[in-house]
Order: sequence, then C-alpha cells, then structure tokens
Amino acid sequence: MEFPDFFWGALGWMIFWGVVGSVVTRRVYLQKDLDTSNTGLVGSMLGASTGPIGLVPLWIKTPEITTRMMVLPTLATIGVFMLVFSISDPGNLCVTNGSFVASQISNGVILGIIYGFMALGLTLIFSILGVVSFAHGEFYMIGGMITYFVTTVWFPGISPVFGVLAACMSTFLLGAIFERLFLTPMYEGKVERPVEYGILITFGLAFTLQYFVQATVGANPVKAKRFFDFPRLRLPSAEDPWLIKTSRGNMELFDTISISNPRFTAAVLCILVFIGLIYFLRRTWTGKALRAVSQDREAAAIAGINPDRMNMLAFALGCMIAALAGSMLVQAFSWLPQVGAIPAMRSFVIIVLGGLGSIPGAFLGGITVGLVEAAGTGCIPDAQKAASYIPAYGMIVLTLTLLLRPTGLFGRKFASGTHGKV
Amino acid sequence: MMKKSHAPQLAGLVLVIFFAAFPFFYGANDYPYIMHVIITGFFYAILTSSWAMLAGYGGQFSFGHMGFMAVGAYTTALISHYFYLAPVPTNICTEFPIGGMYLIILDPIGVTSSTLTQDCLHQALDVWKGSVEVTAMPVWLGIAAGTAMGGVFGLLIGLLVLPLRAAYLALFTLGFSEILRAAISAEISITRGQAGIELPSLFQNGITLFGRHFDKTDKLPPYFIMFILLLVCLGVLTWLAKSKFGLFVRAIREDQDAAAALGVNTIRYKVLVFVITSMIAAAAGATMAHYIGIISPNNLVILQMSLIVAMAVIGGVENFFAAAVGAILLEFVLEMLRNSFEIGPIEVDMTVWRLVVFGVLLMLTLRFSPRGLLVPAIDYFARGHVAKETVAKREQVDAVEASEPEAVK
Repeated sequence: MEFPDFFWGALGWMIFWGVVGSVVTRRVYLQKDLDTSNTGLVGSMLGASTGPIGLVPLWIKTPEITTRMMVLPTLATIGVFMLVFSISDPGNLCVTNGSFVASQISNGVILGIIYGFMALGLTLIFSILGVVSFAHGEFYMIGGMITYFVTTVWFPGISPVFGVLAACMSTFLLGAIFERLFLTPMYEGKVERPVEYGILITFGLAFTLQYFVQATVGANPVKAKRFFDFPRLRLPSAEDPWLIKTSRGNMELFDTISISNPRFTAAVLCILVFIGLIYFLRRTWTGKALRAVSQDREAAAIAGINPDRMNMLAFALGCMIAALAGSMLVQAFSWLPQVGAIPAMRSFVIIVLGGLGSIPGAFLGGITVGLVEAAGTGCIPDAQKAASYIPAYGMIVLTLTLLLRPTGLFGRKFASGTHGKV
Repeated sequence: MMKKSHAPQLAGLVLVIFFAAFPFFYGANDYPYIMHVIITGFFYAILTSSWAMLAGYGGQFSFGHMGFMAVGAYTTALISHYFYLAPVPTNICTEFPIGGMYLIILDPIGVTSSTLTQDCLHQALDVWKGSVEVTAMPVWLGIAAGTAMGGVFGLLIGLLVLPLRAAYLALFTLGFSEILRAAISAEISITRGQAGIELPSLFQNGITLFGRHFDKTDKLPPYFIMFILLLVCLGVLTWLAKSKFGLFVRAIREDQDAAAALGVNTIRYKVLVFVITSMIAAAAGATMAHYIGIISPNNLVILQMSLIVAMAVIGGVENFFAAAVGAILLEFVLEMLRNSFEIGPIEVDMTVWRLVVFGVLLMLTLRFSPRGLLVPAIDYFARGHVAKETVAKREQVDAVEASEPEAVK
C-alpha cells in the first residue's frame, strides 16, 4: 500500500461519522417521537459516506425513512470506500487491472451462489424448528466425502449423478433419524431451555460426525475428479474466440473472465436445484405445509398439518441441501474432515444478512458474502495474509449487519419465542 | 425444613485433600505423566467451571471461551518474548526509560530459525559483548497482564454480544474465536504463526520451597499453582453465585425483560459475568502456556472448545463444582482411552475414536440426563437421609409448580 496513512485516516473518519450518525440520528428521531427502527443504518451510512454534510440536513428535516434512503447511502459508502482504497493504493491489481477485477467478481458471484444455496438449508431448518444447526458444516463435509467415495474409490468411472444421489439420500436419512432421536424432546416441552438444548445437541452432533469421519477416512485431503468436461467451444470463430473459449477444465469469456469447470458446474446445479426447491415450496402441498408451519405453527396444526412431521422433513431437507452443496464442491476443493467449519460460519452470516427465514435473502446474502470474500482475498496486498483472514471477512459483514440492521436484508419479525413448540 | 445431608460437601473436601496430598504419596514410575495429566485436568476444570458459570448460570452460550484463554496465553507470551529491561539504552530498539532502567521492545522479525537471533536486542548484545545484563519480564507480570487483557477482550465482546440471544451469541463468539485464530496464524512476523511462540517456564531458575529445590521441569510447583488457581476460581465463582450477583445473573437467564422490570441492571450484569469468566479463562491460559512452554493457534481449534462444552455438559452445566470434577475425570478417561488396539486385521486408532465416544456421550447425556451425570448423583446424596414420603411429597409440590405455567397459558 502506497499511502497507508491516508487509508487509515480516511477509514477512521468514516467510522467516526458512522458512529456519530447512528447514535445521534437515533436520538433525534426518538426526541421527535418518530419510528427509530432503521435510523441506525441510515445515520451511519449517511455519516460514513458524506460526513456532516449529509447528516445535518437529516437531523433538521427528519424525513420518514424509505427503502431508497437506506439503499443509496449504503451504496455511496461502498463507493467512497472503494475510492479511498484506490487513491491510497494506486498500484494494486484491483485498481489497475480491469480483467482481474472482472474475474474476481464473477468468481465471487459463482461461489456466492453456492454459499447462498448452502445457507438456504440452514434458513429452512431455522424457520421451522427455531434451531440453528451447528452441524450444518458437517453435513456439507459428509456430502462431499460420500460423493468422493462413491465416484472415485468404490465405483470408479460411475456417473457422478449416483455419487450426488447417494450423498443426498444418506444425509437426508441421517438428518431425519437424528431429528427423531434427539430433537423431539424440544417440542414436547421435556427440556427446560429448548434453544440452548438445540445449540448443544447439534454442536455435539457436529463434534461426533467430524471425528467419526476422521476416524474412518483419515485426515489426508482427498479430491474428486471433475464431474464432466466442457465441450470444446470457440465462438464466434476459431481464429478469434473473443466471446467464449473453452478447454476441458476451464472457460474463458470475453478474453478476460476465466471460470473453472467445477465451480461453474456446481453453480449451475445449485441454481437448478434452487429453482426446483422454490417450486417444491410454492407449488406442492408439502412445501406449502412447510411454509405454513414456519409462519404459524398453531394455525398450521389446526389446518391439519402435522408440525412434528414437518420438523423432521425440514431438518432432513436442510441437511440434504448442505450435503448437496458439499458434493458439488468436492470436485473444486480438496476435502478434509475439518472442511465444514468455515462454510458453516459463512452460512450463518448469510442467513443473518439475508434475514432469517428468507429464501431470496439467503440467495442475495450468499452473493454479497461471495463478493466480499473475493474482494478481500483479491485486494488485500499481502496475498498469504489475505487468504488466512477468510473467516474474518464474513464476520465483519455479520458484525455490521447485527449492529446496523439486525433484521437483515429481507427480515421479517420472527416468532422466535416458540422454538418448535406447538 | 428438611434436614440435608452434607455428603457432597464432605466428598468435595475429601477430593481437595486427596489432590493436595496426591503428589506426596504417589511414587510410581509414570509420576511425571500422571502429574501432567492432572495439571491438564485442572486447567480444563478451570475453563469448564468458568464456562459453566457463563453458560449454565448466565445463560450465555459462548463458544469463544478458548479465544479468551488464548488472549491470556498470547499476551504473556508476547510480553515475555518482546519486552526486556536493560540498564543502558541499545539505541536501535524502541525503548523507554523507566526508573533508571530502559524498557526495550524488540522489533518483530520473521519466523525462520536463522533470523530468530537477529532482532535488535541480539545485535545490541553482540556489541556489548556481555558487559550489560538484560532482564526478562517476570512471569507473574505476564500472567497478570494476560488476565487483564482477557478482561478487556471480555468487556469488548461482552458489549458487542449484549443484544444477541442464544444462537446469535453462540455463533458470534465462535466467529470471534475463529478470527483470533486466523489473525494469530496470519501475523507470522509477530506471533510466529502456526509454529507457535515459546515461553519461559513458570520458574525459569527453579524454586526452593521448604528447604527443597525444585528444578524448572519439576511438576510439583506447577501442580500446586494450577491447583490453587482452580480453588481460587471455584471460590470466586461460589462467592459470586451465592451473592446478589448470582441471583441477578440467574434472573436474567430465566427472563431478561422480567429481570429488567424488577430493577436488575441487565446490561451491567450480563457484561460483568462475561468479563469475569473471560478473566478466569485468560488466567488459566496464561499459566498453562508458561507450564507447557509453547502456545500455538492449534490450541484454538474448535475441538478444544468442544471438549470444554462436553466436559461441562457431562459434569453438569449448572453446577460448576460438578463441571470441574467432571472435567478432571474426563481428562483421565480421555487419556486412558488413548491406547490403540487391534481387532483382527483392523487397527483401531483410539486417538480419534475416543473423541467419537466422547461426542456420543455428550449427545446421550444431553438427551437423557440434561442436568449432567454428576449433578443427579450429588442431589441423590444430598437428600440421602430424607424419608421416601418426604421425597414423594416434594415431587408432588414440584409437579404442581411445574404445571402452573401451563395453566397460565
């Protein structure tokens, strides 16, 4: 970095006005007896992007807060931050090299789709059982492991579809059995504090599964070979393939954006399954019943839906989704029994950012987190450090979300008091 | 009033006497090994009982306890590694005059063994050629600073997680621990990353107690330091639990809004319980790091936190005596399960399988005996002399009380 003093100074200035904005705006709105629910977000973002210039008119006029008033200052803050970064580090690849930026963004979006898909499983479990499954990352890991073993060790040469199916079915069963054996006392009122029970029991499951896999498989990294090869494409012509150029493991768009085959396959499959899931949740009786239970358990029970069965289905489905994400990514990353911890954290960040229980929120949150991680790993000058700090980027997003907008992007008021009890 | 048996208190006293006397009558060949296991057991007992205070009493299921432990350990490690006192200035290091001496702060340098001895102090020492005596920081100062730093971090994190409940809090603190691990692994020039940072032992020059000299590798002084730390920790926790503090903290756990309505300063007590337990964890971490002699980010992996959680749950998460005893017992069980064996051609690697056993035990305990395995036993002995009818009668009263909230609904 060329001008670190300028960077940290500007960052300090933004944080200072952000804090002032969020605190004072809330006070001002409270004094005038207005709605204060989003004042923290608007005040801090306006303060961070414009400093006192934008805050003073806000405090004088105190307009009613609209969506536009939340989105525009947020985008402005991101813009100002990017400007500050590019001024203070003019030699950085992120500033000088357009194709590098494009590659990073497309990579971030592709990984973000997969992250969002995995988070969808967690949000499904949370919205219906009221439990955050700490074993989500372990199901992701097991999904990858089963796919690897089926396609590479036990039946080499078999179509990867069977590997993915095996992973889905076994994790679905595992999730259902675990729910029946260990989570049922929560809804029957047998445990004093069901939320804490849910945390501890899934934590215990995560621990058990991780070391079970390590004991049976060992701690050496494994990696499945890629599921299928790209067809050879040269468009628009073989001599000058500026639009699209593919080799077996890679695809190049516009001569700049390079996308690796496994990630592309994973993202496409995730989108397909995502669409299928939306169809299931919106159009089939079971899906509607699931959503009904997530909105109001008692009303759903009166309407003839068995909430206990929906609990089991939701948990099993959530675990299966995590496993599916894992079985997609086992061809892209090397796999270890410990591989689940970071994706599990990330999934939680995503569902908090997107709003607990929100499906579009999970998707958008996933892409946001994917982009933030791509920016972090791509732009921080010391590449080795940048990679080590991967878990931190998501946590920064989480902290900001919890401080500024605890309901998330598409948050709804959540009936968190029930926690699976009818 | 019912006459209560004092069997659990007696058993506790017997345990304390047993552990106080143990090093003097145990003389088998594996003496250092057994002593090490017990010291580690004490270490886990401190962490587990303070976690039981935070989670069981305070209802704040923090998964960042190992993070605070590492804050304490790394603070004292960095102090002993970077801070020295010398009577004359080196003129190449960062240094401040303090009462006739100079506090020298070493410059952080890389990780390779060839550069390890090329920091500014070593260069100055080469120039001085032994004419100047440099003193390292005393160990107790590092431990005190580590404890204080644990309190500072506990305050910050405690304030940050104030509005969070249950799962949010658990994941946020888990994230804190992960960030700390990432930072320690990444800042190689300061913390030496995965290689870990070495610390002087608790008594670098040995210690003479009651006319007997103990070498720095002797297990007896660290044994008693850890033991006293555990007793102090349990004493502080008991005092807190019995005082107004414990009542308020439990009230907040049961219903924060109701507690606030009754005049409990919920913010103060929620943060305070976080700060106190973090300080205990940091003190344990700092002491243990000096005893082991090295601290690395591997102490922060989720496995370590899982062990604390499992020990607390299996012992009894709402009773920190039970949690502490459970931790020592389980540490022994874990060590005994270490031996791998073979069934026919299959070799069973027990170093990993024992953790699976542990996890299953954790889940089964939670499912079938949520108060832990030791607490029901303690209760049983506590009412050992009570007539059956009285117990039945009390259960009846309990049942009526338990059904009342249902009736209100």
